[in-house]
Amino acid sequence: MLIKILGSGCAKCERLEQLTREVVAERGLTATFEHVREMDRIMAYPVMTTPALVVDEVVKVSGRLPSKAELAGWLQG
Amino acid sequence: MEFVFNALQGGVASLAAYLAAHVLLCLVPAFFIAGALSALVPQQSIIRFLGPAAPKGVSYAAAAGAGSLLAVCSCTIQPLFAGIYRKGAGLGPAITFLFFAPAANVLALSYTGVALGAEFAIARIVLALAFGVGIGMIMAVLFRDSSPTPAAPDAVFAGGDGIPRHVLHFLGTLLALLLAGTLQLDSLATVVWQGEWRWSLAPLMQATLDRWVPINEAIGAEGLSLQGTVLIGLLALIGGSAWRGLGQADRGCNQLTWVTLALVGLTLVFAASGVRVTGSGLTLSLNARSLVVCLLCLLLLPQARRFEAWEMQQWLWESWRFVKQIFPLLVVGVFLVGVIRVFIQPQWIQAVAGSNTVLANLAGVTFGVFMYFPTLVEVPIARMFLSLGMHPGPLIAYLMSDPELSLQSILITSAIIGRLRAWTYVGLVAVFSTLAGLSFGAWTDGTPLGLLALLLLSFIAALVTILRRIDRRQHPGVPPC
Repeated sequence: MLIKILGSGCAKCERLEQLTREVVAERGLTATFEHVREMDRIMAYPVMTTPALVVDEVVKVSGRLPSKAELAGWLQG
Repeated sequence: MEFVFNALQGGVASLAAYLAAHVLLCLVPAFFIAGALSALVPQQSIIRFLGPAAPKGVSYAAAAGAGSLLAVCSCTIQPLFAGIYRKGAGLGPAITFLFFAPAANVLALSYTGVALGAEFAIARIVLALAFGVGIGMIMAVLFRDSSPTPAAPDAVFAGGDGIPRHVLHFLGTLLALLLAGTLQLDSLATVVWQGEWRWSLAPLMQATLDRWVPINEAIGAEGLSLQGTVLIGLLALIGGSAWRGLGQADRGCNQLTWVTLALVGLTLVFAASGVRVTGSGLTLSLNARSLVVCLLCLLLLPQARRFEAWEMQQWLWESWRFVKQIFPLLVVGVFLVGVIRVFIQPQWIQAVAGSNTVLANLAGVTFGVFMYFPTLVEVPIARMFLSLGMHPGPLIAYLMSDPELSLQSILITSAIIGRLRAWTYVGLVAVFSTLAGLSFGAWTDGTPLGLLALLLLSFIAALVTILRRIDRRQHPGVPPC
């Protein structure tokens, strides 16, 4: 599973990566992480606001921090 | 030696007055509102109006709405700006968003209102809205043929619901709290209960405070009251408990979270009440303001139950994040302003910007463009200028241009829209800020509002006519937008 965090380095973006990593570790999933910081590459996805979470090239959430339960739903589904 | 002492005392006095008088009833609720906007308002509710197919009128209004509701955090401004420009409604609304965001966010407005006066806050938002839309439209006309062709409709702009009702109620209550704490209404000052204590220490303590932080109206030093000292102490306590109480709220509320919230409520109510030191003790008076503030704080509790626990935790975490991000810089800024204040002669300021002339307004704008201050620090600086005798007109010119333009923001903007467009934007902001200062200054000097509106409208009409003519010459046969 390829997980991308889109965000230009704001506090919320870092927090999203941290939360996602925690969920991956807790559920024993295997995933590769990538933190996309370039505005051009971020804009290539259908998002207008950061932070955004992209799982296997599908945007799951943007502009807010999801709860861990929500994250687990996307990552295991 | 005395020189250094004077300077330091100026800094401390400015900081003490700031913490005791300005922060509490205005910035504390404002930080919680900023956190709520950032954590609770679904961004899709506004973004859906910013698509490439949205009608012009709707997209400019939505861009201004996004500027005041979504852009509390600088990490939202950049992607939203790039998104509106490249994928959405285009250059015009993107510029409106960029111009309006720093002037219209809740922190800047409430702080301006309390520190400088309500008329400055109103002027700031009205002028920023009018000129933000104006500059956006001019940019859209100027660069019509070089705008990026809108790609296939992006999925981002599809769907999305409005802002849920319980979020609106919650925000409304927080806003009412901010207004109840800051509005200067006689009815709010009505005393409902008064108690006197004999406490011989009180006048002594006040005398000591007066010696440490002297009142000097000539230089705008407000001194420090006993109540103010207690409030600063309470603020320090809040800071200490919020460090873990709010800073770790996203892992679940802990005991300190509740301690912090209770302290915030108590502090707000105490700040709204009046404490007066008499010859032999203290008089404490509860007024209508304290009751309203107390009632609104309690009203938040049942409303909070309608949210999911995660949302409330996000709200607290975000609010604290804003405090951590903005407050330390603001404290340092206010202190330094107090120090610098000691060295500036009022005559200098009055010579440059003491009256409402074009040159004085240009001076205000130039200072705003070339100086870069962290978020909100522009307000204490403006306050210093005002106390030194700057005319309100040039002051508004400075306030309009300073947060909008800094080297940093110009660089970010030019990376997204290109250098030519970015510098054109800078030029337009300078012109319009001067204009804003001139008109606000004329209003405070007694020019009737109707005449000013007429002059402004005719200026803008002339500008639009010229732009359209240029546009028509470059694109014969194409109807102007």
